Amino acid sequence: MRTKLFGVAGAFGLLVGTTMPALAHHAFNAEFDANKPIKFQGTITKMLWVNPHAWIYVDVKKPDGTVEEWMIETGTPNTLLRRGLTKESLQAGTQITVDGYQSKDGSLRANGRDLTLPNGQTLFLGSSGTGAPDEIKPKK
Amino acid sequence: MADGHPDLNGIWQAFVTANFDIQDHEAQPGPHPEIMGAYGAELPGQSIVEGGDIPYQPWALAKKKENFAKRMTVDVSSDKTWHASGDPELKCYMPGVPRATYMPLPFQIVQGSSPYILVAYAFTSATRTIRMNWKGDAPTDAWMGWSRGRWEGETLVVDVTGQREETWLDRAGDFHSDKFHVVERYTPASPYHLLYEATIEDPKVYTRQWKMSFPLYRRVEKNLQLLEFKCVPFTEELLYGKFRKPNGDVK
Amino acid sequence: MNDRTSALLAFLAFVTALVLVPQPIGGQTTSGTRQTTGGTKSAGARATAKKTAPVQRTPWGDPDLQGVWNDATSTPLQRPGDLAGKDVLNDEEAAEFQEQTAHGLTRDRRDGGRDADVNRAYNEHWMDARRLKITADHRTSLIVDPPDGRIPSLVPLSPERQKARAARADANARFNAGMPNTFHDMSLPVRCIIRTDSPPYLPTIYNNDFHIFQSPGYVAIAPEMIHSARIIPLDGRPHLRGDLQQWLGDTRGHFDGPTLVVETTNFRADDGVVFQGANPATYRITERFTRVDADTLNYEFTIEDPMTWTRPWTARIPWTKIDPGEQMYEYACHEDNFDIVHFLTGARAREKRGETVGPRPAGAAAAGER
Repeated sequence: MRTKLFGVAGAFGLLVGTTMPALAHHAFNAEFDANKPIKFQGTITKMLWVNPHAWIYVDVKKPDGTVEEWMIETGTPNTLLRRGLTKESLQAGTQITVDGYQSKDGSLRANGRDLTLPNGQTLFLGSSGTGAPDEIKPKK
Repeated sequence: MADGHPDLNGIWQAFVTANFDIQDHEAQPGPHPEIMGAYGAELPGQSIVEGGDIPYQPWALAKKKENFAKRMTVDVSSDKTWHASGDPELKCYMPGVPRATYMPLPFQIVQGSSPYILVAYAFTSATRTIRMNWKGDAPTDAWMGWSRGRWEGETLVVDVTGQREETWLDRAGDFHSDKFHVVERYTPASPYHLLYEATIEDPKVYTRQWKMSFPLYRRVEKNLQLLEFKCVPFTEELLYGKFRKPNGDVK
Repeated sequence: MNDRTSALLAFLAFVTALVLVPQPIGGQTTSGTRQTTGGTKSAGARATAKKTAPVQRTPWGDPDLQGVWNDATSTPLQRPGDLAGKDVLNDEEAAEFQEQTAHGLTRDRRDGGRDADVNRAYNEHWMDARRLKITADHRTSLIVDPPDGRIPSLVPLSPERQKARAARADANARFNAGMPNTFHDMSLPVRCIIRTDSPPYLPTIYNNDFHIFQSPGYVAIAPEMIHSARIIPLDGRPHLRGDLQQWLGDTRGHFDGPTLVVETTNFRADDGVVFQGANPATYRITERFTRVDADTLNYEFTIEDPMTWTRPWTARIPWTKIDPGEQMYEYACHEDNFDIVHFLTGARAREKRGETVGPRPAGAAAAGER
């Protein structure tokens, strides 16, 4: 086993006195509750390919049969576009598992910590920058 | 330019009042005349639409009037209705094409020897990249659209697709759908003028293709530069003021 | 750990995101067009160049910097404390440093408890993959001067400036606790006024892209966030008079051999406009852009402010050309910035439930907001 040459305290040591980045991004646990993890399956109704955050709308069927509409916050779409994805890459009707944290104010909003398809594949991981759009179609 | 094409470099500006209304419009009081008086009044102008009128489908003409009636109605309390009303210009959203061309602020063209031409607008520092002889489509929609350019003789032809459906064409509520398609033509008319034409189609909103045109004038002042018009700070109170802490900090 | 500490750590975690190495995905791409004229010596070529090559020039004779460039890297701005005295690593050390840094930065980890987990959103594929690599020259900091690789110490600040810094730190603390009073408690980037387009250009977690355009007498630099462009006249005209102030300042440039030298003044006095709470009236930033080969450009900036730091300091960041294979895309921000409302309405809802923000711990939230 390779000996560590440098203390990993460096990881935070890196940060002491470091500048604030221009993108002084908000701490997510300011908005999303670490004590309210959520994990559910739902059906995508649409995706907003917008900045600063893309949003995925998910219909979640509750045990009593009612349907809740959740808004899932994700990252910047531009990274995905550079890998060949487009706004057609995620179609309505797709089943998705959302593993994340609910909004602190209790609304039906969560940050999408892990998003997976029924086959276990991480959403949007597929494209490798070949330029070919990675189509994710609903299971028929 | 070295490649033989016209040199469109420079700072340009339109002097029509089309940003109020691209069709014929008389002078009229603007919003809140009881406060704004003549400051807020709308300037008169003749239509830049060839033939005079935008060929709306009947439902769309009604929608345009509704847009105008609600142009100052701003409500961002719900994400789903964030864009449902209010002139995007009022909110300092990027104006899209063709509206950016006739905003009452200059823009600058930077044309070099790469496959891209930059158009930078003073209004909210909006920019667009014209990709020359480009095959690829817009991967998603953008407020300033997706612009592909080519030369036809002395004319720069720019095909604009993939524009966010929320942009308006003016303060009068003129609008379009996600099927909006604009073909611009920039043709040098003298060392100091370009003729700007935009052919517009949208099968969901208009009954046929239509066209607007007006001159663009070169700004010739010595040492002129685009000054910032970063208007986001001018809109935050309007958009977000009502969500502040009651009796909390005013600032 | 409590909310505020974890918020601080998470906040600092984002701060780490200043360092990632350019490493093109799927191999090197070369630019679509190249205009070269014969045999100009590349005077002042950077030491990092493998060999000096003739300067690529535009048809009108300026060094050619045109294209889309990416500046992501994991190399930190400041040398970590435990690497003091080591400005460059050997290959083995570099590999380990890169691995450890990448482990610290990766968003695919789910360890460390829920507070850490929620703050790592989102997975790596939403991030710029190049940001997990250190610079090719294996430096331990982006700062190259002073030799210790750290931002110089502060001069004593006036009581007025200390008060302003404290007020900003208080606003940050309220915001990070999810309880902002108004939109003013949020930073300029969160409000979508300026982001990475504010000089100096520093790497961040994604969208580390810059599109350079040139025309006779101008260079224009368009950063991805937030869709603006600095259009830089090269004709030697003076800066705007001091009474005109801008969020991105006022920039003038000239070519010195192969290097574009850029100076910016006339910054607004608002919090967050100049680097880390420096004094806008005395702040000076000079940036240098030198293309070293077909796919690499060195970006170097020097910042000085005798009212803030004891001496000037300089950093160097390599940029990698990514077009035509990869493009820069529109980054609209204010137009769909739903989170501003979420933060504010969320705070009001939580206030109704009786939640409050505690006093800011001394020293929490680094001094000054960009």
